[in-house]
Amino acid sequence: MSSRAPVTPSDYIDKVTGRTEYITDVEVPGMVHGKILRSPHPHAVIKSIDASAALEMPGVIAVLTGADVSALNNHWGLYLKDRPVIAIDRVRYVGEPVAMVAADDERIAEEALEAISVDYEPIPFVTDAAEAIEASAPLVHETHDTVKDFYFKGEAKPVAGTNIFQHYNYEHGDVEKAFAQADRCFEAKYEFPMVFHYAMEPHCVIASFDSGGLTVWSCGQSPTAVQKVLSRVFGMPLARIRIISPNVGGGFGGKASVKIDPLVAALAWKTHRPVRVCLSISESMLTARRLSASIRVKTGVRNDGAILAKSVSVLMNGGAYADTGPAVAVKAANRAIGPYRIPNLKLESTAAYTNTVPGAAFRSIGGPQAVWASESQMDEIAEALGLDPLEFRNRNLLRRGEHVRPDLRPIDVEMGEAMDIATREMAQLRASDSGSETHRGTALGISDPGIMAVSSVLLRLKIDGSVAVVSNSVEIGQGVREVLRRLAAEQLKQPVDAVEVLTPDTAIAPFDWGTGASRSSLMMGLAIADAAADIRRQIAEIAAIVLEVDPQSVELCEGGIAIGNRKKTFSELLHAYFGIDSGELVSIGRVSPHSNAGKLTQAPLFWETAAGQCAVAVDEDTGEISVRHYVSVADVGRVVNRAAAEGQDEGATIMGLGHTLSEELVYQDGQPVNATMIDYHVPTIDEVPENFVTVLIESGTGPGPGGMRGMGEGAILPVAPAVANALAEGYGIRIRKLPLTPERVWRAIRERKER
Amino acid sequence: MFLIPFTHHRPVSLDEVFETLAKHGDDAAVYAGGTELLLALKARVLRYEHLIDLKRVKELSGIRIEGEELVIGALATHHQIANNDLVQAHVPAYAALSEEIANIRVRAAGTLAGNLAFAEPHSDPPSLLSAMDATLILVSSGGKRGVPMREFILSDFTTAREENELIAEIRIPVTAAGEGFAYRKFGHLERPAVGASAGCVMRGGKPSYRLWFGAIGDRPLHAKEIEDAIAGVPAASLPEALPKVARDFASGISTASDLHGSADYKQHLASVLIQRALAAACEAAQSRGAANA
Repeated sequence: MSSRAPVTPSDYIDKVTGRTEYITDVEVPGMVHGKILRSPHPHAVIKSIDASAALEMPGVIAVLTGADVSALNNHWGLYLKDRPVIAIDRVRYVGEPVAMVAADDERIAEEALEAISVDYEPIPFVTDAAEAIEASAPLVHETHDTVKDFYFKGEAKPVAGTNIFQHYNYEHGDVEKAFAQADRCFEAKYEFPMVFHYAMEPHCVIASFDSGGLTVWSCGQSPTAVQKVLSRVFGMPLARIRIISPNVGGGFGGKASVKIDPLVAALAWKTHRPVRVCLSISESMLTARRLSASIRVKTGVRNDGAILAKSVSVLMNGGAYADTGPAVAVKAANRAIGPYRIPNLKLESTAAYTNTVPGAAFRSIGGPQAVWASESQMDEIAEALGLDPLEFRNRNLLRRGEHVRPDLRPIDVEMGEAMDIATREMAQLRASDSGSETHRGTALGISDPGIMAVSSVLLRLKIDGSVAVVSNSVEIGQGVREVLRRLAAEQLKQPVDAVEVLTPDTAIAPFDWGTGASRSSLMMGLAIADAAADIRRQIAEIAAIVLEVDPQSVELCEGGIAIGNRKKTFSELLHAYFGIDSGELVSIGRVSPHSNAGKLTQAPLFWETAAGQCAVAVDEDTGEISVRHYVSVADVGRVVNRAAAEGQDEGATIMGLGHTLSEELVYQDGQPVNATMIDYHVPTIDEVPENFVTVLIESGTGPGPGGMRGMGEGAILPVAPAVANALAEGYGIRIRKLPLTPERVWRAIRERKER
Repeated sequence: MFLIPFTHHRPVSLDEVFETLAKHGDDAAVYAGGTELLLALKARVLRYEHLIDLKRVKELSGIRIEGEELVIGALATHHQIANNDLVQAHVPAYAALSEEIANIRVRAAGTLAGNLAFAEPHSDPPSLLSAMDATLILVSSGGKRGVPMREFILSDFTTAREENELIAEIRIPVTAAGEGFAYRKFGHLERPAVGASAGCVMRGGKPSYRLWFGAIGDRPLHAKEIEDAIAGVPAASLPEALPKVARDFASGISTASDLHGSADYKQHLASVLIQRALAAACEAAQSRGAANA
């Protein structure tokens, strides 16, 4: 662990004192307010919309419906162009935007929604993925319009004439042959629910057209993706579209890629006024959610515990629009492999449209679903073979440098080390616990971050030695601005206080693929290192001219440069160079797959991993699980901002307790029946384990500056299987369906007692 | 959603409240904490053109002892009740219940009277107040009347309160020496799935018990069959006498499967919780007897 003294990140005080500006605080002159009328039907044809009464209401400026957007390229999507800007002729899920009112204030807009009458003709719907892939299922989309390399590499593989919008296969070795040779084969199906991201700030966007083009204050995690989609929808050049990203109150994937920006921009386009739309949390619940999954895993082993073969078949419920579901489906298959030697491996994944809220990226896309299945089964196999679950894992564990899949980068961490640390820390916690008996569960997760190595950053060194970092990395609470600040300070050898990280704005910040997939610290770190090298080059050249010194001898030091013992401030150097005591140096740092001598071409860029161990106690009469202790261990390479890094690790774990213990979006008769924060329970401080230990291993083996790798998602992976494994160990029950609600636990215990 | 525009009234006396109510009739609603009403208004489940804020009506405030009763004014919030010395001393089980209602934001604003008047079935107070045999004092311009808590809630969101009446106060018999009460609840959502309230009353060395369920049905449910079956059974023998009758009774409770749980699970919880509540009530009765001896 680091011995550096803790430093309070610069943004914490502003946040806790309410000074931090979020989009909801932004006022644009002339701004009006939009509200959305949503479909009450899971699947229906829109026969007509009558907004005349709404338009007559004082204060109502305009109503946008599907009829208005015919002049636009009105369908968009990053994998499949399946989503209309606003529903056109048809709705595909309860909550889909059907009409939108712009009014002088939010209240009037909301009142006007009630004056719009929509004539629907309900048609057959399907909300279950298994039913959706049956031949008789109603089609959510009749055609599949895929786009290749649009923003994500490659393209989705839909199946024509079905609801399947993504199908993925992978195989190495000969799985069937190995199963036949195995001493034992284990096969089971594991269910993972639809869960909501619950960022504390709901989606909020302001869009404004003027002679300069379109400006959007976006809550999106990928400003340049928003920019690109808006460019296509409105047929405008990228350079005329400006995306500004103030602080965002949480994303977790629910604001990744593109969400409500086209809708809000369309209302601004119709209204000819800046339009602000802030959703309620219930509306955000109808905007995006994690893909639910049913995962069948078959594993063949020898009696000595060696895994011979594994076959994984994933079926995901992708909702009404594909969104980033095609990527999620691929990752759900990959992330089910685990950190184990598997000589024969077969992966299959299918994602299907249903008449439900669109599935989307969510903290470690597909990862928690996959690891839930594979790590639950690891304990089941160990138990059947009479092996300790840690020993069974150890016998199959990959060592650093070994291949998870021959075509992927070898694993770059020692998972055995992380597991051992978790075990040791947990033993200490349990030894000091004088309360009732607890039972231990373990799980390991590894994920191949889907990072596109396409990033850039500007560094602007001012003549007074202050530095501005200009990037499109969005501060979504993860602390990225503080990380960039510290990395820029480190690379330029300047004090942290000298560095400012600007609010992302595509008008001045260069392209960056997006804020997600545990990539920003790493990608921007590499870009900053590149940009800092350019600043050093410029400074050395200037010193050579001004001071007539060997450029090789020039080094940066605090406030200026040093040539041996001789020091000059930036001001002294640049004053002499420019002729005036004003000016700046600007550099751009770039990362592409070809950077670092091609080292960034192989996927994944690094492995994001986690070892989780929990100690739980169950009230057998109610079925309530109490997770008393939790240990989370990950090799993150290097910690740049400890408070935020540990916060990310803790946050990911507690978020994982949500899908583990209580969270599940429930559909009945096509309706989401618990899409409010009263009926849908997100963990609170009451559910946080009494003891929580995070150990971040700093092995210095990542691809970023100082050996850092990305982090922030891994810790969510092991939570659910670790808890389920503890239930099996302590109470003899194996539950294969999340969440582990008290009722499910009670029922499983009762069934065990009746056996 | 936003509240539909309404006229806000802030009367300072009961007379003024009744005047306003009489004037606006069905278009008016009274509130104190607003934790239930405002949610319903925002969801547009309810609509009122006039909201009458009771918070300045002095006659409705305060917590005091009158004779053998603890009197809780209609304006007392759950937080005030939980932390009030008189409540903690004289009806400790209710103070404990009050401290566990919902979350601190609800407790800080929400009032007991408002909770009872709203009659949301998934609520904590009614079953324990029934077990304690509390009385609600309803006032109207025509006078006042007492309604036993046990008869106040008729079904979900429906009470014995007339449109022109207000709950003025809740009168809870002081828990005497040799008496003990306890409430146990369970649920994995914001509101309880099942609540169970128990009282243990020692009279002349013979125990009798009071058992009520909450949340599982549309109104508090009196477990009279269990009470009868265990009447006179000493507390020490309850672990043998209670489980079967509790299970039998609970399995017959009429309840539906919903987000809170399947019907059979909630019935099981009822059986578990009533046993836990009664054990705690007996323990409280014993220690209360000792304290006052």
